Parts: sequence; C-alpha cells; structure tokens
Amino acid sequence: MNAASRRRFEPREIVEPLCRFGDLVDGKSRGFDPLGEGRDTMFLVRRGDAVHAWRNHCPHYDRARMAWKKDEFLDPSGEQVMCFAHGALFAIDTGECTLGPCLGQSLTPVEVELRDGAVWVKGFYEPGFRR
Amino acid sequence: MRIIGPDELIFGVDDLDACRTFLVDYGLTEVDRTEAGGSYHALDGTGVTLRRRDDPALPKPLPTASMLRKTIYGVEDQETLDQIAAELDKDREVVREADGSLSCRDDLDFALGFRITTRKKLDLPAELINSPGARPGRGPNVIGANQDAEAKPRTLSHIVYFVPDMDRMTQFYIDRLKFVVTDKFTNTGPFLRPQANFDHHVLFMIQTPAYMQGLEHLAFHMQGPTELMLAGSRMVKMGYESFWGPGRHKFGSNWFWYFNSPLGTHVEYDADMDLHDGEWVERETPMSAEAAQLFLFENVEKWAPGGPPPGKKD
Repeated sequence: MNAASRRRFEPREIVEPLCRFGDLVDGKSRGFDPLGEGRDTMFLVRRGDAVHAWRNHCPHYDRARMAWKKDEFLDPSGEQVMCFAHGALFAIDTGECTLGPCLGQSLTPVEVELRDGAVWVKGFYEPGFRR
Repeated sequence: MRIIGPDELIFGVDDLDACRTFLVDYGLTEVDRTEAGGSYHALDGTGVTLRRRDDPALPKPLPTASMLRKTIYGVEDQETLDQIAAELDKDREVVREADGSLSCRDDLDFALGFRITTRKKLDLPAELINSPGARPGRGPNVIGANQDAEAKPRTLSHIVYFVPDMDRMTQFYIDRLKFVVTDKFTNTGPFLRPQANFDHHVLFMIQTPAYMQGLEHLAFHMQGPTELMLAGSRMVKMGYESFWGPGRHKFGSNWFWYFNSPLGTHVEYDADMDLHDGEWVERETPMSAEAAQLFLFENVEKWAPGGPPPGKKD
C-alpha cells in the first residue's frame, strides 16, 4: 500500500476549509468528502448564521449512508435531517432521532469552526468509508 | 392457495416530485401521473403507486417513519380470492373493494390487498453468456457489452418488512396464506414464498423493536447481473446513494444492489434468484456478513491503466 492510499484510511487533520460559508444555501444540506474517500462522509446544514455538521452515518447500521441523492440530507420540509435508508428523522441542531429506526440514538457530530468566512473541520477526522 | 407475490406497493409521501424522479431514474415507467400521485411500472405491470401522505383514500399509516401504506398481492384466480376471503373473514374485517379486490390488515397491522394479478406474461431473453464447455449463449458476432442497453426492471421481486414479532407474522403468512419458508436467518427472520411462485422469496422479515416497524426494502428483478450492474452504476452516476452492493446473496443466490430512496426505504435491483418447489428443505443459519453474501463490491469511478506515470517529472 502506498502512502496516499494509507493516508486515505487513517484519521488526519484536514488542512483545507470545507467550503466558504457564503457558498452554503440557507436551509439546505451539503455533503463533503474531506479525506477524498470517493463518497461524502459528512454533511453541513446551514440555518441562518449557524452551521451544523454531522457525519454521514445513520446510527441504525454501522456506517450506513443517509442521503437519497448527492447533498440531499433533509426531509421535504427542510426542518429535520432524514435518513433515506428507512426514513428516520433527526433534529438538525442536536442530532437526536425523533422518529424511526434510531429512536434514542443520535447522529455523530463533526466539530467545525467558522474562520475567515470559511468552514473548517477542527482536529482529526476519521475516515467514514467501509473497508 | 395460489398467491403469486406482491403486484403493487402503495406509498404515502411528502415529496411527490422527488419520488417520481427517483422511480423513473431507477428504471420504472410512469404509467399514470395526476395531482394525487402516480403509478410506476416494471415491464410486467407490477410496480409502485405514489400518493400524498394525507390522501384520505389511503389506509391508515403505521405509527412509525414508514411511508408504505399498502401491499397488494396478485393471485391466480377468483377461486383463490374466495379462499383468502373465507379464511381471513374468520377473525378480521375483509373489505370487498369495488374493483373486486380484497383489503384487510395482517396480524401486525400492515395493510394488505389481494387481487387477481394484473401481471403481463413476459417473454424476454435471459442474459446470454458464453462459457467454455457449454453451448454458446451468444453466437458469433453477437455482442455482449452494450453501454446503452435499456436495463429496465422486469417484475416486482420481493419486499422485506421490519416486524416487532417475527414468529407471529411468520405464522400468519404460513397458516393463513399458505406461504412456505425456504430459508431462515436465526433470530432475524424467514424467507417466504407463496404457493404460486417458485422464487426463493417474495417476503422476508427482520425482527426489530416496535418503533422500527415498516418496509426495509423492495426489490425488482433485472434481466441478469450485467443489467443490474449497468442500472446501478447509472444510479450512482446520477448522484443516488448506493447503500449496499453490488454483490451476491447466499440465501436465494440473487445478485443485489441497494439504494436509498425518498420513499424512506431501500430500493434494490436483484437478478438471478434461485427457484424452489415443495421438495426443498429449508436451511437455517445465524445472520452475519459472511452468511449474507457470497461477495461484496463497491462502485468506483471508471479508471483504466495508461497515460503518463503520475510521479513522472518533466
């Protein structure tokens, strides 16, 4: 295994911002693949001046992917995160499951910060792709 | 009791447009589209019907996140319908609908319908392969690889329910509707086929807590593994979320590829499922990743060897 593919499967610091805050559409979600694994492993939801960041892992199954299409992580009302595997709903701000297969469980948060008008992942980021 | 399998699944959804787009991109044909919803068919006329969640004509929803509102089974003839009515009349309300179909609920409150099947008989070629030692599936100059092949789902294959009481549900389908267990994952659930279908399963169940009750997935049969791969890779290219696959299951032997969907359930392509008759003796094994599949792959972007070495300095 070469250095590049080894890095792909190890936690590391993300040295580039995910995106500019202004590029996020208010009330919408967007997926990101910070380690270049070939699949979005986290997503952001912008609500006004706030941004919420969650891993693309439904707590129902190990590393289950949630969107139904690229960047589509919210229910039709845009008020909750939805897992399109089985319809589970989650609060956008707390990640807590409110209905469906994951009741009593929560989404996994990603620590992010806003700096210089951009969204940055703080600390080490774990790969999310199944191996 | 000559039940064939699910003919139609009815959903009550919030985002009709997203569901319509998904089902058409998946490969079903839109045969009906109104303000109220639409119908989406495989080649034999089996399929999915969409309605708005608050449509008063729909059976009441489950108290969970499931959007499935009714499973309608196709049966061979009126005699079978009469048998089902006589059997289920004993302990539940069975409604005779204006179109001649029956409506009721099963022992765990899933809404069911039964009607004389509306399936069209298909007369289509299997996937044709060439294998040394065997008579060629394709003769000289017949090409196997076609990037633009249609890859349409042929028929509704099976459904999988999350159920809070697997044993009670299994007994209902066996005792009352004469389904047969082909194989079983211990503590997970049984694979069931009805009397008028040799497919390994048209119904599978997964034991879960009550708050999960609903539809785990639905699946349509494709022509063969190549069409399954073609259809699935097109879905990925369109931005849809692959959930599991492509791979090949052990029980049932069917190839599989599952996608998330705006219907709040997985939608699967399957191909080349085993057939069984009354001679078959059921197998049982604990559910595990090893038991669930012969092999599992993951789609990646197309790549080919060639071009300049990436490390080369000029």
